[in-house]
Amino acid sequence: MPIPEDLKVPHTPIEDAQGLSIGLLTAAVGLTFLTHLGFLTGQTAGLALIISYLTGWSFGIVFTLVNLPFYAFAWKRLGPEFTLKSVFCVVALSVLVDWMPSALSFAYLDPLLGTAIFGVLTGFGLLGVFRHKGSLGGLGVIALMIQDRTGFRAGYVQLIVDGMLFAVAYLLFDGRVVLYSLFGAVILNGVIAFNHRRDRYIAD
Amino acid sequence: MTEKASHTPLADAQGIVFGATMAATGVLILTSLGLVTGQTAGLAVVISYATGWGFGPVFFVVNLPFYWLGYRRMGLAFTLKTFAAVALLSLLSGWLPGVFVVEHLWVPLGAVLFGMITGSGLLALFRHGSSLGGVGILALYLQEKTGFKAGWTQLCFDAGVFAIAFLVIPPEKVMWSALGALVLNLVIAINHRRDWYVAT
Repeated sequence: MPIPEDLKVPHTPIEDAQGLSIGLLTAAVGLTFLTHLGFLTGQTAGLALIISYLTGWSFGIVFTLVNLPFYAFAWKRLGPEFTLKSVFCVVALSVLVDWMPSALSFAYLDPLLGTAIFGVLTGFGLLGVFRHKGSLGGLGVIALMIQDRTGFRAGYVQLIVDGMLFAVAYLLFDGRVVLYSLFGAVILNGVIAFNHRRDRYIAD
Repeated sequence: MTEKASHTPLADAQGIVFGATMAATGVLILTSLGLVTGQTAGLAVVISYATGWGFGPVFFVVNLPFYWLGYRRMGLAFTLKTFAAVALLSLLSGWLPGVFVVEHLWVPLGAVLFGMITGSGLLALFRHGSSLGGVGILALYLQEKTGFKAGWTQLCFDAGVFAIAFLVIPPEKVMWSALGALVLNLVIAINHRRDWYVAT
């Protein structure tokens, strides 16, 4: 159901700033739970985690680099404003995730609970970022481009990429890592699927 | 305006589980640092520090007197959803310290994270017609009966909790607690808008 124009309420810049701050900080805390446990997730963050675990490079550096190719597409398709916001959000998340372990560490964390908290916190963080028109770059842009060019659905492109990521993870790490990681990804996507609704949250 | 969007029972259940999980994570961060907060949760934290009893059971008991007023003023659905959220938060708070132990947490970061995470959890509960019980309902009742402004009742209650906190925890921890409470209330003040989130 489209929202009538006269009902749309714009966010002020300060409201967007607090929304993006809360979203990025919460997403970073969630990822700190995940990396403490050595687990994975989907999308470009998942790719960055696999590379980071294999090479020992920090997640922040790898995540920033992995996202670079997408900005060229984003610039063409979605314009400079969206692209610059994506760059800002990706770099901010990278810096926060790399910094967080020096300010927050765990003596003990149950893997099942830790993965669930990752899904809740990072899912919520992404929701906040989306609602305040930020973006964490990535696959979505390319998936949309493929849909426009070939008609192949963007959702399937993302699903295939995640499927490949988890298949590679299964070859590189043990089955336990993959199972816990899948559980976290289900919770994360559940939070977004339930709550990312333009008909309920109508502010722009 | 067209027909109002409404949550399905499953969507409400998801919102309450999400809100209580967020709040429990925030409270664990708070108590790991030995900080306090306002409202009934703050009272429960202070009692828990002073007696050594767990936060979960204390919070559950502290909220019991408020359900009758909640039922009379806000209706059955709100009261049941609030009871569910309080019970879930109490259960999670009893279980979490065994499975989630913080080794090191920079106090300013912890205070801000508590405010953001618990504030967001509360926001989700409000948006799904629930709450974490407590003082707000009593404050509204007093305003109706005596004319004493509800905001003042809440402020007096929080001032009382923070005053007692000075007896139980070191003064610099009370200061960091105030920062956490500020962030929590800002999250709700900025984001709890019926014109932004329209579903009921």
